[in-house]
Amino acid sequence: MRAILTIKNLRKHFPVKNAWGTDVALVKALDGVDLKIEAGKTFGIVGESGCGKTTLMRTLLRLIEPTSGSVVISEEIIGDKVSSNNLEELTSQELRKFRRQIGVVFQDPMGALNPRMIIKDIVSEPLVIHGKTDNMRNRVIELLNNVGLGEEHLYRYPHEFSGGQRQRIVIARALALDPKILVLDEPTSALDVSVQAQILNLLNDLQKKYNLTYIFISHDLSVIEYMCDRLAVMYLGRVVEEANTEELFSNPQHPYTKALLSATPSFDKNKEKIMILGDVPSPITYLDESKAKLATEMTEQEKLEIKSIEGKGIEYIVRSSLNEVFPLVRISGEHYARVR
Amino acid sequence: MLEIKDLKTNFNTYDGVVKALDGVNLKIKDGEIFGLVGETGSGKSVTCYSALRLLPKTGEIVGGSIVLNGEDITNVSEKRLREIRGGEIGIIFQDPLSALNPVMTVNEQIGEILVLHQNEEIEDLASAKKIPAYKSEKWKASPGVEFTIMAFCMSFISLFVMLGQWRFSLPFLFVIVSMLFRNYLQKNNSASALDLLVIDALSRVKLPNPEQIASSYPHELSGGMQQRVMIAMALAGKAKMLIADEPTTALDVTIQAQILQLIKDIQKEENMSVLLITHDLGVVAETCERVAVMYKGKIVEEASVDEIFTNPKNEYTKGLLDAIPKGGKERLKVPNLNEVEAS
Repeated sequence: MRAILTIKNLRKHFPVKNAWGTDVALVKALDGVDLKIEAGKTFGIVGESGCGKTTLMRTLLRLIEPTSGSVVISEEIIGDKVSSNNLEELTSQELRKFRRQIGVVFQDPMGALNPRMIIKDIVSEPLVIHGKTDNMRNRVIELLNNVGLGEEHLYRYPHEFSGGQRQRIVIARALALDPKILVLDEPTSALDVSVQAQILNLLNDLQKKYNLTYIFISHDLSVIEYMCDRLAVMYLGRVVEEANTEELFSNPQHPYTKALLSATPSFDKNKEKIMILGDVPSPITYLDESKAKLATEMTEQEKLEIKSIEGKGIEYIVRSSLNEVFPLVRISGEHYARVR
Repeated sequence: MLEIKDLKTNFNTYDGVVKALDGVNLKIKDGEIFGLVGETGSGKSVTCYSALRLLPKTGEIVGGSIVLNGEDITNVSEKRLREIRGGEIGIIFQDPLSALNPVMTVNEQIGEILVLHQNEEIEDLASAKKIPAYKSEKWKASPGVEFTIMAFCMSFISLFVMLGQWRFSLPFLFVIVSMLFRNYLQKNNSASALDLLVIDALSRVKLPNPEQIASSYPHELSGGMQQRVMIAMALAGKAKMLIADEPTTALDVTIQAQILQLIKDIQKEENMSVLLITHDLGVVAETCERVAVMYKGKIVEEASVDEIFTNPKNEYTKGLLDAIPKGGKERLKVPNLNEVEAS
């Protein structure tokens, strides 16, 4: 096992300011993430909106600076002639070199493509920026052929393509500099299932051809199960479970993972349902203690009578409200899942 | 309940006529959840907009009929349509935040529907509980009038202050202050019958703390709560049928499971018919009893849920089912549209 990226205790806290510009609270978007990403494999990150998937991706690209923690890059990406293999300590020149090795595909292809540029310019832009301009036209055609498009598409604008084709263009552009890692942030969630199947097949082909490492972010568990070798489940800025895909799907450990797996719509009607009650708690923590008290008091008020009972290794709680009694599993502080 | 017969809808564009619906036949029975699946552009949403005659100006229904409870509503008057929309058919849209009005509180938005469709009930409740039916707004003028009054008062104040007779400006000052703090001065803050019905509607969709949610604005609520408010609005008019156009596409899976469970529960409690439009076959498998698959403005297959997933007959349905990743690592099959066209 060769780790291509090692994330150690990564934290990113965004300050919340009041009208006078003083910090009143922190949004703990990442709160101690430890991950090892293997070379040549697909690493999946699942989680609901607001759990920190995108913040993690942005910190990996050093688009935002982490509050603490480090990302260690292996030598095969960046070479051994660098001052440090810690992402935070790279000089701007070395950072450029690092970014050449990492391609990104975003969720919404129309938002990622400049509507006023033709495809030739869009795909060749990274080549121009990184100064690889020799024989550029042929390189662009080669890239387009790789993703199933052709020379005839060179002089068209993004709006002339369908959603799937646009996503192919984005992938071609991400591959322009021969990266070793491809970060895929929800690459198929804007697409129909038939187009999604095409894109997933394409991604698998490209991975085999170029021995790419994928970091695959998605909320769709069936896609994740199909694509990924290893998987991390994120919840409120933390990785609650990390395992190989088959292991995680057959034997989930954390109650949140269980709830997430059972919430995915499936063709099996008799599946056991674990229903999460309410929304994920807010990741905001107040710095001022009186404010913090206020915040907890409000949830205290919303909370109904909860009695704790022993059982089955995980904490089962009986909530009696509106004359119904049912077992609950505690996911985090105030967040419960109901077992049906 | 709702029957759509050979419905044809065209859109007139600069590039010619787009036949969005090309002979759609649907029959939704009383008290069933009917799923309508299809990919982008297959005409699912146009079917539901045509059924409620909510098409944009470029769209027109060119053939077929829509029958609701034995009444042909294809060509009924706008007045009757307004009774049907919300009163007999409730609708939920995909993105709750853009479907809700951002400058109105939840209370006002649900109240609007109740005033339109449940007027008698409000009066009944008011007389039974001896409370006002609506919040009294005796002292409220339109913003323009209020602004003019304030401007006049201000000018009089400055006039008297300049003349050195500041004592005369006091009554005008009093008017301004009382207008600004009117909400606090008004003593009659008890709940009206309308408020009670709004809270009732919110607790029907199992929202915690309905009083607090009623007084909040849509942006203050989470996505799941917003969608629950949308459902409460759709049901407020005591509709017997609910059309849900991609109700969970904008939501996370765990919240999606909550909302689908809610729709199922409410459907059972009130014995409603639900038309669920979605692109997600998993959602259909979990909630619906019967399902129709749409492709290019036509219904290519209609069957019970168990049948369609175990034994699909149409090529396109087969292709769609094959395209979903199902655990294994083998290469996904992409539906071959040429074959579909041929069959």
